[in-house]
Amino acid sequence: MRCATRIVAVGLIGLATLLFSRAGAAPDDQAGRAARAEGLVLARCGLCHSTDLITQQRLDRSRWQATVGKMVHWGAELSEEEAGLLVEFLAARFHPTASGSVPLSDIGAAEPLQTEHPSTQERPSGVALQGATLFATNCQGCHGSGAGGGFGPKLAGNPILNSETSFWETVLYGRGPMPAWEHTLSRQDIADIQAWLKTL
Amino acid sequence: MVHQARLVAVVVMSSPGESSVTENHAAPVMSRRTLLGRIIQGLGLSFALGPAIPFVQAKERAAETDATDHLIVRVARPLDAETPVQEFSSYLTPNARFFVRSHFGPPPQEQLSDENWQLNVTGLVDRPLTLTLHDLKQFEAITITAVVQCSGNGRASYRPKTPGVQWDRGAVGNARWTGVRLRDVLLKAGLQPNGHHVQFQGADRPVAAMVPLFVRSIPVEKALHPDTILAYEMNGRPLPLLHGAPLRVVTPGWMADSCIKWLTDITVQQDEAQGYYMQTAYRHPTRPVEPGEAIAASDLKPVEAMVVKSLIAQPSEGTSLAPGPVTIQGVAWTGEGRIVTVEVSLDGGLTWEPARLIGEDQPYSWRQWQYIWQATGPGLHTILCRATDDCGQTQPKASPWNPSGFLWNGWDYVSVTVAG
Repeated sequence: MRCATRIVAVGLIGLATLLFSRAGAAPDDQAGRAARAEGLVLARCGLCHSTDLITQQRLDRSRWQATVGKMVHWGAELSEEEAGLLVEFLAARFHPTASGSVPLSDIGAAEPLQTEHPSTQERPSGVALQGATLFATNCQGCHGSGAGGGFGPKLAGNPILNSETSFWETVLYGRGPMPAWEHTLSRQDIADIQAWLKTL
Repeated sequence: MVHQARLVAVVVMSSPGESSVTENHAAPVMSRRTLLGRIIQGLGLSFALGPAIPFVQAKERAAETDATDHLIVRVARPLDAETPVQEFSSYLTPNARFFVRSHFGPPPQEQLSDENWQLNVTGLVDRPLTLTLHDLKQFEAITITAVVQCSGNGRASYRPKTPGVQWDRGAVGNARWTGVRLRDVLLKAGLQPNGHHVQFQGADRPVAAMVPLFVRSIPVEKALHPDTILAYEMNGRPLPLLHGAPLRVVTPGWMADSCIKWLTDITVQQDEAQGYYMQTAYRHPTRPVEPGEAIAASDLKPVEAMVVKSLIAQPSEGTSLAPGPVTIQGVAWTGEGRIVTVEVSLDGGLTWEPARLIGEDQPYSWRQWQYIWQATGPGLHTILCRATDDCGQTQPKASPWNPSGFLWNGWDYVSVTVAG
């Protein structure tokens, strides 16, 4: 049954790619800013809630400003510049007259979504000591202190650490409620976190 | 005001526990084909949920599947999911199909086990109490059937849109709650005369430490009302995890923002609870307001009683019907009063015909209603309904706009096509 679910999900991702693709999205400055904003949404907002909470809103700039301000007040890790970028992105995309369903992003979707395994060249060897700090900043919110589990599963001793492919795929592209980290963490960061987790 | 947002997505997972959730469930189950169609509409969600998480314990996954099968997920994490309105053809809403609203999501289950969980009753009381679930069950048990509804139910209908979970119609349900009277517990602790508010806190915690805790309070008058209960059973079963196991507050007639789940702390105090969720959120203007207008704090009061409301459960939006008699049915409820009439209009609200009130008639519950419509003529027809309660409240065409999108109770409507 799990296989069937996976097949359906993969099929849907393919279909979504077709639906959301926008041919010829040039990597201009505008697109670059949007990609950065999307990364912020996934990494900073996605820490506490899934992004569907954002994409269903239809708010004007002042209400987006108030919302982002509230989240910064509540500990969302956003610099003033990042918060400004985010408000600009959200107000342009999820405004009161936006159509019924707006995905978080259509940038880069002209290319097929990454489904194959990242090649081993993209997996540098990690430094466990660095990984501890990176984990505390980026992962601990969900996976708990010492990777002992919280909202997300316990990672200390988790079998996924023995599966290179699953580990990298999950971190880079997300899985289930876990956001994708490919725009936020470097390959080296991920390798460091992986190295630290293996010491637990 | 279109209902295109309805049924944005339905969670689909294998459902080994389906047989356990069929009690009192009279509505036909959606076909898999319909479900697939809806999944395709809900691609965004498919992304959010993705395939099953392989490294989550199988047991946890099974519990999650049981708990959310057939709900429309608005927010995947923390989970906010509503009931498809067709489910409201039954008087009681089954546990696994009851809407879920999470501020932070359930706490770790081990905190809620019999050995670890306890209820603390402190503050302005003569004898602070620490009670286990076993201790609580020594008080007289009471069962009340009551509607529990999110204050934001129907928020998606407000224009301009307001921030928050974009609930459509199904963030509501009617269940049999069994527990003990909050009054009995408070009287055992010995209320002091300056205890005017009773504050509740649950075991759920936010991911980020700076997010305010979900702490709420109710005035002592409501807390001492003999129908305000601490519930440990829902529809005859132990309270499910997503609904606040092992103990939640139920304030019949009031919106669900007082119905704290995973309850661990009751504090009697002189003033209302402090903090964001009492002093800023869940407040409603006491006068008409315009979008964008600044509202003085003195013009906002906590959301308390529910407002009169009705829903059409059948036929479903977009149904094709043959000419002839069609049974229109649904539910209607109000706050602390009783429903006296439900009316149906088939001409856009120019004329209204009374529906027949049927089934059980209990305080705090919803009332089922039915109307036989002789469907004629080919084309699109819009069915409207509105309810009136014994306080003289009638559902308006649209509710007054308010900045948080609370208390929507505009006429409900469903559009159907009648064949030629």
